[in-house]
Amino acid sequence: MIGRGPARGLLFVLVGTGGLFAGCMPSTDVTVTVFAAASLRDAVDLAATAYTASVPGIRFLVSADSSAALRVQIEQGAPADLFLSADAVNPARLVDDGLADGAPIAFASADLAIVVPAGNPAGIGDPMDLARAGTRIIAAGPEVPITAYADRLVAELAGLDGYPVDFAERYAANVHSREDNARAVIAKVELGEGDAGIVYEPDARASSATWTIPLPDGVRIAATYAGVVVRGAGAAEAARAFLAWLAGPDGGSVLAGLGFERAGAVAIPAGALMP
Amino acid sequence: MSGVQAVHRAGGSGPGAAAGRAGSGAVVAVVGLFLALPIVVLVGRAVLGGGLPAAVGSAAVVDALTLSLATTAASLVLTIGLGTPLAYALARRRFRGSTLLETIVDLPIVLPPSVAGLALLLVFGRRGLLGEPLDELGIGIPFTTVAVVLAQTFVAAPFFIRSARAGLASVERDLEDAARVDGASEWQVFRWVTVALAAPALAAGVVMAWARALGEFGATIMFAGNVAGRTQTLPLVVYGEFQGGDLEASIAAAAILVLAAFGVLVAVRALHWGRALDAR
Repeated sequence: MIGRGPARGLLFVLVGTGGLFAGCMPSTDVTVTVFAAASLRDAVDLAATAYTASVPGIRFLVSADSSAALRVQIEQGAPADLFLSADAVNPARLVDDGLADGAPIAFASADLAIVVPAGNPAGIGDPMDLARAGTRIIAAGPEVPITAYADRLVAELAGLDGYPVDFAERYAANVHSREDNARAVIAKVELGEGDAGIVYEPDARASSATWTIPLPDGVRIAATYAGVVVRGAGAAEAARAFLAWLAGPDGGSVLAGLGFERAGAVAIPAGALMP
Repeated sequence: MSGVQAVHRAGGSGPGAAAGRAGSGAVVAVVGLFLALPIVVLVGRAVLGGGLPAAVGSAAVVDALTLSLATTAASLVLTIGLGTPLAYALARRRFRGSTLLETIVDLPIVLPPSVAGLALLLVFGRRGLLGEPLDELGIGIPFTTVAVVLAQTFVAAPFFIRSARAGLASVERDLEDAARVDGASEWQVFRWVTVALAAPALAAGVVMAWARALGEFGATIMFAGNVAGRTQTLPLVVYGEFQGGDLEASIAAAAILVLAAFGVLVAVRALHWGRALDAR
């Protein structure tokens, strides 16, 4: 028992030297703490399994939530080694705050999808129906990356022929609930708590309890996933190696199996703040 | 229940007695169902849906259960170790600011846990009052297992201190003096008279504080985050798995917490601590 993480941590508390737990645990293995966007939850689990098969002695601890929430936690001192965000904005803010170790790297991208509960009880036949009076939209909070992408998708749809000029306003008026992260959006749609929601395509693909409403030809919004090593990370080298692997062909093929696309492992220069 | 019986007695002889009985019976049934149905459905679904048996093999649930038991044990040690002297002082002495101190001790009981989590971050966070100098020394408390223990202690200790204070205050000083006359040392008086007589209240306080620590969610997720294996306790699994994870795992973790809470109440009653609880 004493060798296990929590129990060892408690000993530290009991002898009054708490706080050092995360950083100084003597161990032959390296533990990489990954803070990952909610939509990367399955991807990180799968990638970590594949990675540890080829690089033994590495253990991953994963915390999945909204990228914005995780960024705030890191700012408040959360001991993350690697931050995998659903956008480039939140990693860039860590860079601005001096909390990043090196430049963020874009490692994947994903399309957006409109999902409805299986059976489509509200009869959403077309993205236009998102603006129909009475449609209950499940969305995410203003800071959550999916919200910025969804707004871009809505703006693009609003410019199409046949869409009402006030499509975006009507969509906004139909928002029934704002969730903490993108995975919670699809979870609420799965439960039938709403009629439709805009989510990441890999999440839509993994969900058997939702149907996807096709987007009009030529309409495509891609989310960029960027990762960055956190300054002062206890496992900085291991985190950097994993990020490089994730952005490379091996990680790319794992992610592709879930519906992500490769983003070319581009280092994002400072000041490039497009979400 | 006694209130319902009183209604029965009061209306026992009038012509509307039967209607009154039926009416109050209906109220009891509705309220009882309202309180019981969600819990019964939750546990029933966890057991019958196979989630609970499956959870025994699920790493997320087992890790969280282990972490919950370990952290609540640590917070209980902190609570008893630091709370007993404080409760004793509050029970026995009136000093400048003792009323204020009592109010401060009670505050976390009525405070929303999210407020507690935010307040802890403002003190121990990387940019917090104590967190900043600690960070310079390379000590980081927030978002670690230590933070889980601190959050649990912050919200749960008042339940123990409150109960212990009432129990210690009710011990007759004459009995302590009698023991002193018989040659008992101060420690022996404390251990074999004061603590022995206050034992039901102390035990009730321990059980309530443990239950509160086990169920702690808001302060934990804000101050300790949600890292599986490090800060993800059972209540955080309930939330995390519901938020787009595995709903069955969420239900299983919730059922474990229901059974633990139920066990606490049964233990309190079985050990005749119920009176101490009711008297709080």
